[in-house]
Amino acid sequence: MHRFSKPGQLLPAMLAALLLVTGAAYGAPHLPSGLKWLSNDTDPLYAAPEAVKGGSLHLALLSFPLTFRVVGPDSNGSFRGAILGNQLSLIGIHPNTEHIVPELATHWAFGSDKKTMYFKLNPKARWSDGRPVTAGDFAYTLEFMRSKKIIAPWYNDYYSREIERVIVYDDRTLAVVSTKAQPDLYLKLNLTPTPRHFYGRLGDDFVRRYNWKIVPNTGPYRITRFSKGRSIVFARKKNWWGRNLRYFKHRFNVDRVIFRVIRDLNIQWEYFKKGKLDVFGLTMPKYWHEKSKTRVFEKGYVQRIWFFNDTQQPAMGMWLNQDHAIFADRNVRYAFAHGMNVGKVIRQVLHNDYYRLENGYVGYGAYSNRRIRARRFNLQKVAFYMHKAGWHRGPDGIWAKNGRRFSVVVTYGFAGHTPRLVVLKEEAKKAGIELRLEKLDMSAAFKKILEKKHDVAWMGWSTSLRPQFWEHFHSANAHKPQTNNITNTDDAQMDRLIDAYRNSLEAKERIVLSKKIQDRIHAIGAFVPTFMVPYVRQAFWRWWRLPTPPGTRHTDDLFAPFDSATGGLFWFDAARYRETARARKKHTSFAPATIIDKTYRREVPAP
Amino acid sequence: MRLSPLTIKKIRRFKSIKRGYWSLIIFALMVTLSLGAELLVNRRALIVHYQGRYYFPVYGRMLPGKTFGLDYNYETNYRKLAKVFASRHAGDWVLMPVVPYGPYENDLKPNRYPPFAPSFADRHFLGTDTIGRDVLARLVYGFRIAVFFSLALLAANFLIGVSIGSAMGFWGGKFDLFFQRIIEIWSNVPFLYVIIIISSIVVPNFFMLVVIMALFGWISITWTIRTMAYKEKAREYVLAARAMGASDLRIIFRHIIPNTVAIIVTFAPFAVSSGIISLTSLDYLGFGLPPPTPSWGELLQQGWANLDAWWIVASVIVAMVITLLTVTFIGEAVREAYDPRMHTTYE
Repeated sequence: MHRFSKPGQLLPAMLAALLLVTGAAYGAPHLPSGLKWLSNDTDPLYAAPEAVKGGSLHLALLSFPLTFRVVGPDSNGSFRGAILGNQLSLIGIHPNTEHIVPELATHWAFGSDKKTMYFKLNPKARWSDGRPVTAGDFAYTLEFMRSKKIIAPWYNDYYSREIERVIVYDDRTLAVVSTKAQPDLYLKLNLTPTPRHFYGRLGDDFVRRYNWKIVPNTGPYRITRFSKGRSIVFARKKNWWGRNLRYFKHRFNVDRVIFRVIRDLNIQWEYFKKGKLDVFGLTMPKYWHEKSKTRVFEKGYVQRIWFFNDTQQPAMGMWLNQDHAIFADRNVRYAFAHGMNVGKVIRQVLHNDYYRLENGYVGYGAYSNRRIRARRFNLQKVAFYMHKAGWHRGPDGIWAKNGRRFSVVVTYGFAGHTPRLVVLKEEAKKAGIELRLEKLDMSAAFKKILEKKHDVAWMGWSTSLRPQFWEHFHSANAHKPQTNNITNTDDAQMDRLIDAYRNSLEAKERIVLSKKIQDRIHAIGAFVPTFMVPYVRQAFWRWWRLPTPPGTRHTDDLFAPFDSATGGLFWFDAARYRETARARKKHTSFAPATIIDKTYRREVPAP
Repeated sequence: MRLSPLTIKKIRRFKSIKRGYWSLIIFALMVTLSLGAELLVNRRALIVHYQGRYYFPVYGRMLPGKTFGLDYNYETNYRKLAKVFASRHAGDWVLMPVVPYGPYENDLKPNRYPPFAPSFADRHFLGTDTIGRDVLARLVYGFRIAVFFSLALLAANFLIGVSIGSAMGFWGGKFDLFFQRIIEIWSNVPFLYVIIIISSIVVPNFFMLVVIMALFGWISITWTIRTMAYKEKAREYVLAARAMGASDLRIIFRHIIPNTVAIIVTFAPFAVSSGIISLTSLDYLGFGLPPPTPSWGELLQQGWANLDAWWIVASVIVAMVITLLTVTFIGEAVREAYDPRMHTTYE
């Protein structure tokens, strides 16, 4: 099977190569006429003009990366983000307006076929070895990602199935063609270049050969030193080509970013308190409320910030399996939702730090349906829906019908969530619902859920830029194992809406449909949304400065040094550093500071 | 049943070892009390007197709040009920157990976060754990589970171990050789890992956990009994029984096992304590009985993670030390009482 599919995958590449060859012989391919070139130099800036360059940022890694490659075996670790953060792509997304902004391309244009986008590269764009970035480097990305030598089947498949070809008009002009017309085309066609001059022809030894090679990049920093198992140093490029671009100005300020491997979070905390790390995450209630009541905070050497963002929230909650008889009845599903006292868990277990998730698609901008309210704990409503479904309370206070009790197993995979579930369980008894907790190993729990053997799955799905409905709610994925429709939602109206959403190329229509689908999900009631954490909390030594407001709508780490959209906004204040060093020596103190920034906070109703 | 003079002598000997004797009394008392734990530690009231009628909610069906004129349909909160009755002065009253909390109940307070320190006013005599559950209640119910778990484990282990061990010793030869190899292979399976793997795939309940642990627990007693059976087999009384035409099974169960009972009895208390320890350590690692079962291991784990809430770790450690110490003292005294060489100075 494998062998037969090969020519099909290679064909587009061969065609592209053929085009290149014929192009050279009979004159270059011509740009279609009537293209409307777009750019963006009007969106608001979010960096601080007073930011200055200098200083070193010390961060910690829990483990050393297994490789510096970003494709192939073992490459999907968390450190990949730091390397890719320094690989710019053709265009970026403005983190506050979500409009397209220039990165490597200065201008872009949409083809009339809704499959093609045209780009003009910035002539100043350079690789870190000084070579110019050319259109050929984007064509090479396709060649590279489709190569069997990189041992990355997912990428092989994605770049063959989703991207048809890259057309090179000249060194500075190119087009990227999708295999099919699509909404939000720019999200898919936004390629990252790959340096052809560095890799050349790929050999069978690719995986081993490039394990620890530092690949030329286009971003503000590059790795200059590393010691395996211990540390990695990124240094800011002097005279980086992009330093004066509108959306990069006054950003990426620190001279060096030093990652140090410290294999335990508690030890990292001790390093941080000694000033050997600059930043520490305080999102967990325990760190924010208890552990940070310590000397360096009280003396004001370290400041805390609580920054609310407005970004896509993971769909955390309880997913009811409608293929199990008990949840086949919609009234029972509604009653179940009304029997979950999520509000009490938030108030009395989670220090009021978490927020009630109202629906599975919060934070998707215009695509989110803000009218939906998750069903609140309400014993009258539980009784109403249960009576409607023909159940009555049994002798032990649990609802019963035809000898069957309302007792369901909640499958989950993270021991840290047990306190929340224990409180839900006790409260659910009041509503006449028995929850039996089943804590499995993370992967065993996920396997059981994907095989649709659960009653109730306690889990969250990660997010994407636009809401994804087909995977989770279309009947095409119901009643079969290994799909993400873990509620086994099988609803004709839902299918129609989702199909329309997937086939529509018009953003406006998709927004309307997206909201309707969310209404439908709420009406079906197989998902009980629980918590969201629409903020980030961090502690930092006081010599670090942040712009006002300190981050963007989509910031999830205020001290991310690299990310081209949200990273590198902070800077090092040398005067404050000296001042703090003196104070620490003389044991004098500053006023303790806790910044709470609500610029992007959305009003939320009571949990 | 008449006790043989030898047995009476052993009992007398046991009683004379005061440390073991008192340990037995304390341990028996603890087990007996834990059997009636519902009467001592419970969220349900012992007696409710309401409008001239008496209610005994401890055992029996759940009584919703409406029974006592409250406005809800779920289980009555008897602590609050007591306060309501007291404020009405209508002659109604509620008698609560000494510890008025259940092992699963979260006693959460507005604007304060658990763990709460011990408080006599709240009747949290040993404080609460990190989710607001009463530590004493969880200790008591956890003790009951741990003790009966290790007794069940002991019974299963000894049943398998003694039968196989005596058969190996008695028959010897190929049967013995075969089982020796089986045991050697079996005892090389890393037992803890197997349990961890099994319980990460399925959540074990009480009996499954006993079975899983018995699968690996029968080995040590088997070796000992095998040796004993070899020794006893060569004795005259076995020859005599055989000469009278007794079957193998009769010889094993009627003659050999009663004569090895000293070994079995002396091993038992130590097996109980090791059973408690293994359940606690499995729970500590999170691979034992599923949450929210009250368990010492889980309390210990919480205690280490929250050392500033000293009452959690202190309570569970004191409880463990007392239990294991009494069981060990009993074991020592039993061993002493059964010791055929009576010239020791152990007192």
